[in-house]
Amino acid sequence: MRKALTVILLVIVLTVPFVFFDILPVIGDPDSAPNSHVSDYYIEHAVEECNSPNMVTAVIVDYRAFDTMFETTVMFLAGIAVMLILAEHPKRKLMVPTRVRRLNVHEGSPVYRTVNKDVMVSVIQVLILIYAMYVLFHGEVSLGGGFQAGALIGMTYLLDVMVCRREQPLFRTTKYKAGAIAGLGPLLYAVTGMIPFIGGGLYLQYGKMPFAIHEAELHSIGITSVEIGVTIGVAATIITIINALTERIVFDDEI
Amino acid sequence: MANIPVLIVILPLAAALLCLVLTAIHERLGLWAVGLASLASFVLSVMQLITVAREGTIHYCIGGYAVPYGIEFVIDSVNACVLVMISLIGFLTVIFAKNFGERIGRMQRGAGYAVLSLLITGLLGMTSTGDVFNLYVFLEITSLSAYCLIALGGSKGVVSAFRYMLVGTIAATFYLLGIGVLYAATGTLNMGDMSDILDKGGYDHVMLVSMCLLIVGFGIKMALFPFHGWQPSAYTHAEPGTRPLITGVMGKIPALAMFRFIFCVFGTDLIYVRFLLVMLGVFSVCGMLYGSIMAMGQSDLRKVLAYSSVAQIAYISLGFAIGTPTALAGSFIHMLAHAFMKGGLFFCTGAISYKFGTYSLDDLGRIYKKMPLTCGLLVVAALSMIGIPPTAGFFSKWYLALGAAGAHYWVYLAVLVISSLLNAVYFFKLIEKVFIQPSKDLDERWSAGEFELPVSIVLPVVVCFAAILAIGIFNVRIFDFLMMTLEGVGL
Repeated sequence: MRKALTVILLVIVLTVPFVFFDILPVIGDPDSAPNSHVSDYYIEHAVEECNSPNMVTAVIVDYRAFDTMFETTVMFLAGIAVMLILAEHPKRKLMVPTRVRRLNVHEGSPVYRTVNKDVMVSVIQVLILIYAMYVLFHGEVSLGGGFQAGALIGMTYLLDVMVCRREQPLFRTTKYKAGAIAGLGPLLYAVTGMIPFIGGGLYLQYGKMPFAIHEAELHSIGITSVEIGVTIGVAATIITIINALTERIVFDDEI
Repeated sequence: MANIPVLIVILPLAAALLCLVLTAIHERLGLWAVGLASLASFVLSVMQLITVAREGTIHYCIGGYAVPYGIEFVIDSVNACVLVMISLIGFLTVIFAKNFGERIGRMQRGAGYAVLSLLITGLLGMTSTGDVFNLYVFLEITSLSAYCLIALGGSKGVVSAFRYMLVGTIAATFYLLGIGVLYAATGTLNMGDMSDILDKGGYDHVMLVSMCLLIVGFGIKMALFPFHGWQPSAYTHAEPGTRPLITGVMGKIPALAMFRFIFCVFGTDLIYVRFLLVMLGVFSVCGMLYGSIMAMGQSDLRKVLAYSSVAQIAYISLGFAIGTPTALAGSFIHMLAHAFMKGGLFFCTGAISYKFGTYSLDDLGRIYKKMPLTCGLLVVAALSMIGIPPTAGFFSKWYLALGAAGAHYWVYLAVLVISSLLNAVYFFKLIEKVFIQPSKDLDERWSAGEFELPVSIVLPVVVCFAAILAIGIFNVRIFDFLMMTLEGVGL
């Protein structure tokens, strides 16, 4: 009863202001403040100032690049937090192994019996990696960008861990090495931001980088370099988390 | 030189990101990088403080974009002081933390330093920024690294970190909801620009709703009285090496952000502002009494100090609730003073546990003979908590009382005095244990060297001792410096 009362009270407190005070604009209203104050400037100037055909990319990694840098750092922090907290307790020798019956080759659903996973996975992995590169370098123009490309690379690793046997992996690393690499991605971002200091610019002012090319091209270089940093950070973080978690689990085919 | 505001934040970040790589190369390199970066950050923030004193508020636009379109750092006199405080305690904590956690592996220690450095980065960024969403990002970094450092303090630490994480995530959501409402009404994320738009009028309901959400959000983060449930266990079981930074600084920065929102963004013209301030005042008054009374009943030194923090944070919000420039200055002097007092007291508990491996109040009998320097700081910090004149705590409470009397809030004045007397009860109990109670046989874990403890523990102890006295002695200069900003924003 007391719990129900608390929930009812919470619902009332949270809904009343939003229902009766009329403080949120109608969805899609072109005259509302968020759509008319700063947005107009971005729509009119983003392509020209940042040399990026995709306005979303321009806002994320140019106008508000400082936020994105720390969002990437949050990824890194999550990775090393998992590594620190989850990895060492409980110790592997203290874990109780569960008895799992191993499937024989002829068992399982008939559809999968005809697919040789060891052959297929190497094709799929390469395709995913090519797509990740496309998403990374084309993110400036179309949808996509650093976070998605990093997630795709991390997914390739996850596929590798799940499908391939220990003897023939595409690429394996330890959680500590992956964590160290995860730090280098945001570092590339931070260092890219510092390069304009040499040309007398402010932090992340790509146009003041000390290279003798047109300012628009400098923006492109800055955005691409930052996106590569984000990709490295996200991919290595996902690998760190996978490594830290798989150390706690005993897989079926390891018994 | 123009880039100092952003370098203060970026240097600890870069050290944190490089820390694991450097630790893989050599065991000590990561620690050196983090220590040097926080020291450099401290030096730069002192230089920035001097610049602010000479030339006034610094505005730094990241990326060179004009104000509402890019992200801006605003360093006024309040920020500048707090930045010096954070980076100094951060540096001391880094060198203090190297004495703890020998049992864990090399790479894990490296990762621990990285998280500590990220906590410093988050706190520095939250203080510097002038953009509401950027503040949220730094709040996330601060909270995540704090969860991690609390969880490193053993099995109880994991449980209290999990509790803190659940509550802290709700707080972050409340903050996000609050700024979401503001963004929907104004269409900007820059604090200065938002303040200009809100001043035009017609936003009373929006401001009321968002302010309630923000007070709850920041209240949870700073452990203000009704929202303090996570705080005592989290402060008690945090990783011992990093506890001074977590207990000393982490609760203050959300309070600074709350000040920014109430007084800088919303301004004091809002018709509901009195109502909000009275609400804050009620929370503070209850917190001051509750924290002090709970602290009297504890037998674990860490718990005593953790509950005392609930009371001391309420002093800061009491200054906001009074709202006159004098009281606000009192709040900020208390913020600086309490960071060194509570940080210093936790340096002491860390030192005692390093030498004798105990946290119990009953084991402290006549410990002053064995650890004179540590007990010196313990006594000065305790006297400062109570508010004995030459120390910093007296002057912060003096300005708070002056503000309360000036605005005719007699209830606040009475509670301020009562709470100080309650502080005296449990801190004199502590002093009695240290000097009078017969000593116990404790096995010493560390007895080499010329000082009572390694230099890396003695240095933070001595610096905190000096800082408490220095803030007390130079309180008029700090007060005048803070008033450069506060004169324009108070009630």
